[in-house]
Amino acid sequence: MSILTEISENLQKGKAKIVKELVMQAVEQGYAPEEILSKGLLDGMNIIGEKFKANEVYVPEVLVAARAMNVGSQVLKPYLEQAGVKAVGRVCIGTVQGDLHDIGKNLVKMMMEGKGLEVIDLGTDVAPETFIQTAIEQNCQIICCSALLTTTMGVMGEVVKKAEEAGIRDKVKIMIGGAPVDEAFCRQIGADCYTPDAASAADAAAAFCAAN
Amino acid sequence: MTNRERFQAVLNFEKPDDRLPAIEWASWWWDKTVVNWQSQGLPSDIGFRELAPYLGLDQHIQFWFQHRAADCPQPKFNGGPICEDEDGYEALLPYLYPDNEVDAAIEGMKALKEAHDRGDFPIWFSVDGGFWFPRTLLGIENHLYSFYDEPELYHRILDDLADFQLRTLEKVYSVLTPDFMTFGEDMSYNNGPMISEDSFNEFLLPYYQKVIPYIKEHGTKVIVDSDGDITKMIPWLKHAGIEGVLPLERQAGVDVAALREAHPDFLFIGAFDKMTMRRGVEDMRGEFERLLPVMKTGGFIPSVDHQTPPDVPLERYYKYIDMLKEYAEKAVK
Ligand code: B12
Repeated sequence: MSILTEISENLQKGKAKIVKELVMQAVEQGYAPEEILSKGLLDGMNIIGEKFKANEVYVPEVLVAARAMNVGSQVLKPYLEQAGVKAVGRVCIGTVQGDLHDIGKNLVKMMMEGKGLEVIDLGTDVAPETFIQTAIEQNCQIICCSALLTTTMGVMGEVVKKAEEAGIRDKVKIMIGGAPVDEAFCRQIGADCYTPDAASAADAAAAFCAAN
Repeated sequence: MTNRERFQAVLNFEKPDDRLPAIEWASWWWDKTVVNWQSQGLPSDIGFRELAPYLGLDQHIQFWFQHRAADCPQPKFNGGPICEDEDGYEALLPYLYPDNEVDAAIEGMKALKEAHDRGDFPIWFSVDGGFWFPRTLLGIENHLYSFYDEPELYHRILDDLADFQLRTLEKVYSVLTPDFMTFGEDMSYNNGPMISEDSFNEFLLPYYQKVIPYIKEHGTKVIVDSDGDITKMIPWLKHAGIEGVLPLERQAGVDVAALREAHPDFLFIGAFDKMTMRRGVEDMRGEFERLLPVMKTGGFIPSVDHQTPPDVPLERYYKYIDMLKEYAEKAVK
């Protein structure tokens, strides 16, 4: 088994310590940092994402896998920077104002990182203005809003409006999700994309960034 | 037929004489909803317990036993941890499993015994379940990691939890026999279970198997309270001895008719899509029509599939209650 496959497989099992050691070994053995990232870490996270989508693994398995990925990424980071490898895109994400549910939002973030995107996490209870300001200041291609309450999903419409007012609507995609949200609501408020789960959200975000 | 007899009938898959119970199962109303209704004419001096009968619903009395003492350290943020590991758990133990608070609740139960015996209302109780309770200790996110990071601690917590609940149950049954009970869990969400069947069997099953037989021995129906899409979990729950679920959240995709077909002998409470209440009277009628065939099969008490949301005006809620009673009658005709 190649060391990259080993990284991927251990990542899927959430074995953070082993992943860390294997990534260091792979660097020492002269593998290109990009290759370690894509064929090791991101490959493993992709497989977990697909299994999560199919209900073959569940939230704890995704969390421990994502943690292993983060540990591996930390080791790899300086080498990636040295090699001039950039993130495939930049996203800001948050749970909207009035809403404190964040497990789903965190999973979306992890899956997006698993696609090689840089994700700025604004946390929970995030005001529409904060999404817009962050997108402008940090040059984000995508704003991701999560809402779990019928009483807070309306805030997502506010985010769309504020993006228009700030004149950035044509530069930034707005993705939305969370339990009460659906495709029809997405269209109704004029957002760009809704997906029912975190793995599909990451797919859609990566596809968008690749196309731009 | 008394209020309690009606309940009993449905819980035993028998037909009540006149109608199904008409309840809001969640006795803990969404505070924002109540505040809104107060601005729409609801008198502000009506407590949560009196609200249902005031609005014209059947009363049912819930006891939720406290598993943490009133002075137990609180999480620093909503869903945050109050202990992180085995040492933290040990430091917390003096605040957990407060038998004296149970005793106080039992006194309250005694005071209601006569009315319960008379059939004025059903009594039910809730306990923190094997998913929920560790979550309140470890915090929402760490709890999910703990299945991998702290399996021994998890088992230890559930052993202690089961012991506490068995002590509590003994006190309950020395006073009266509640009609049903729930394990508060919330272990599912929109896309199904939060944890795998393997994790369920490894951690929760032994706990359930310790507590449930004692409850069933006394004839109290055993129900799991879990939001989200519980469909896939029902066989796991049945295997653990559980007899029913609530609230069967429609928005999460739960199809109560399909569930009834797959599980003819399983109890259901809830299933009324709260989202239709936000849309208006016609949608609510459509929703009752969807539920009617299942209401007729017995073993099902229709009710909002979680708390009534704050954007449902009081006037519409009254219409909802009228309709609920109309269909509660239709179901037994
Ligand atoms: C856990 C939970 C809580 C926890 C949250 C802790 C935390 N830190 O997150 C606690 C106990 C604190 C809580 C509190 C409340 N809750 Co709550 N909660 C839930 C529950 C059971 C599960 C949510 C969850 O964690 N799911 C797991 C994750 C993985 O799923 P997810 O968030 O849906 O995310 C997935 C997808 O939606 C998608 N996704 C998520 N975000 C995004 C973003 C983008 C851009 C994309 C593309 C995709 C995407 O990807 C994720 C993974 O695949 C739901 C039930 C449900 N049906 O969801 C109720 C639920 C959301 N809660 C509800 C309620 C009412 C409340 C309270 C108001 C209760 C009260 N009366 O106090 C409070 C509100 C607090 C607040 N201000 O936010 C209701 C909302 C009903 C309504 N009308 O809106 C629900 C639906 C329960 C129900 N049966 O009705 N809750």
